[in-house]
Amino acid sequence: MTTTDTAAASDPSPTALEEAVTSTDPNTLSRVWGFGGMTSVLLGAIAGLLVGFERLDLASADVFSSADEVFQFWSAHRVALVLLGVLPALMGLATTVVPRQCGGSLLFPRAAALACWTWLIGAGMTIAGFLADGGLGTPGGAGQRQATALTLMGLLLVIGGLLLASVCVMTTIVSGRAAGTGLRDLPFTAWTTLVAATVWTGMLPVLAANAVLAYVDLRGRPAIRYGAEDAIWEQLSWMFTHPAIYVLALPALGIALDVLARATGVTQSNRDVLLVATAAFGFLSFGAFAQTFFDTPGTPIREEALSVVAAFAIVPVALAILGGVADTLRRGASNLGSKPPADAVVALLAVLLVVVGTVVGAVHVIAPLELLGTAVEGANFTLVVGAAVLGVGAGFHHWGDDIVGPGARPGLFLLGGLALALGVVLSGVTDLISGLLDQNDFTGVTLAAAGHPESGVDALNLVSMVGSLAAVAGLVVWMIAGTLHMVTARKDAA
Amino acid sequence: MAATVPTAPTRPRTLVVASAFGTGTVLMYFGGLFALYFSVRADALAWGSQWYPEGAIQLVPGGMNMATMAMSAITMAWAVQAVLNDDRVHAMIAMALTAVLGIAMVNQTVFYFMDIGLPIDASEAATMLYVIVGSHLVMVAVGVLWLGLLLLRTLGGQDTNRHRDLVSAAALYWYAAVAVYSVIWVGIYIAK
Repeated sequence: MTTTDTAAASDPSPTALEEAVTSTDPNTLSRVWGFGGMTSVLLGAIAGLLVGFERLDLASADVFSSADEVFQFWSAHRVALVLLGVLPALMGLATTVVPRQCGGSLLFPRAAALACWTWLIGAGMTIAGFLADGGLGTPGGAGQRQATALTLMGLLLVIGGLLLASVCVMTTIVSGRAAGTGLRDLPFTAWTTLVAATVWTGMLPVLAANAVLAYVDLRGRPAIRYGAEDAIWEQLSWMFTHPAIYVLALPALGIALDVLARATGVTQSNRDVLLVATAAFGFLSFGAFAQTFFDTPGTPIREEALSVVAAFAIVPVALAILGGVADTLRRGASNLGSKPPADAVVALLAVLLVVVGTVVGAVHVIAPLELLGTAVEGANFTLVVGAAVLGVGAGFHHWGDDIVGPGARPGLFLLGGLALALGVVLSGVTDLISGLLDQNDFTGVTLAAAGHPESGVDALNLVSMVGSLAAVAGLVVWMIAGTLHMVTARKDAA
Repeated sequence: MAATVPTAPTRPRTLVVASAFGTGTVLMYFGGLFALYFSVRADALAWGSQWYPEGAIQLVPGGMNMATMAMSAITMAWAVQAVLNDDRVHAMIAMALTAVLGIAMVNQTVFYFMDIGLPIDASEAATMLYVIVGSHLVMVAVGVLWLGLLLLRTLGGQDTNRHRDLVSAAALYWYAAVAVYSVIWVGIYIAK
């Protein structure tokens, strides 16, 4: 034994923090991605709840002091859910579950660790930027420019981290899977992650291009156009709306297909149809073209044929996937018993919400209804992103024992999942109706900005706010369940 | 875990595959910038606005840079071929030449932009021009650093036929840098 070996043997075991910071173990990285992502989802849901409170009384600003503050929290809600929440949480599952499904190990683990910490630092900068009166601009231009620049820089780091992690996962699937395993043989989680990561690596760089353009124009002098405070959000907003948000739900569909196949004990029939359908779902989610800020006058991109056809085409695709799920449940119903597994129930709810979300997305592009910019967009976002959160939660519960060790709390998980699903449905449906009654997606703090003719949406906003409250409660329950799971697993390991 | 496959994994050309995905993301970044640039430019021209001031963008510096980048693509291919043939001396010469051509391109671009007197806040066109060209300079600089790393490995005798993937991966990235510049050359320097 050498001197180094002796010294290493006498070292105390690393603390959880040391282990998390220095490790390249996919399970550890998965925990950082997962815990960080779900915490951001919770923070985003709380921001949405506060905006919901404000919306209860549109005659005055009660919770926030100005429309600009409401806007900062409203945009923070969407950024936190998408870029700081769902995507990283999915990356957590992709880092550990996908390589195992491919029969190998994660390639480039040090790059994956770099990606994870780049994202985390970027997420911290983004949140700090929002809290320091920056965010992604404000309609009134009353925010702090330095803080806005910090938010943009944080966002670029977040995008960089997510892209690097996506490259590691895609390379693992394409180049690192076991010999003799074709792409058609992959489980659905790995397959949908490959498709989704391909779309992410197509869309996130475009978002980065938008952010760089805004950042360069913002710094050091009065902005020409792209860095103007009232223009930044519109340049980036395409990432947080239809059709780009559908790609968040794609891995959730893959997780649901795997979880339900495991719960029912049967394999999907028409597997190739489902592979094609999930791939089509992914490519119909490509939304980088739908940048309203760069519309040619007179021809708004979201009213053009490409946007409208994509919005409608994704509905039958989602229905086909639902058909596959229904067929699996029909053939394996006898194996489910009287108490189906919690993850199967939550995964099924996720699939149903995805289908409803795509239908709402198709309705809102029907030109005669004039729903673009109304609360129907918010409903579409709530339903799809809510479905994605449910799917991610189901995945973490299903593979939780592999990631952190035994100690899952299925009862607590199911309770949280049902509360979250209820909240998503309440918020989504009431926002849909409010949108049909002409309420704007971003209501501001005045009746004029809200865009509705005092037509009784106050009661709907109250129900929507209750839905947001239920969603936050469900997420808190999940965080408790996850923390208890990790504590139990750590005790068992010790 | 859902269906897992227990057999041992193989890793065919892992570095090249990862480089292809990474380069793809870089190309999408430039694709996004070019789409915005050409869209805003088309709108401006359709309304009869001036895009760049007369004489601000000249063809010769852009053409010289294009020629430099084209030559660097050839020397990069020479490096890949030399590594495939286990020809260490030629590999080192080719990689060093490629890196020098990259540095020359950065130098020419910086000199040109200091010379033309078009400030970044002169117009929307100028802001976009600086973002696109600046991003490409970063891309080339990263490529030069990568080549420097490869040169060190070659000096250490590691860039042999058995380790060709790292050179192929760098070559893929470099060719993409040349391709991006060709769009800048045609779309900005020639079409103005």
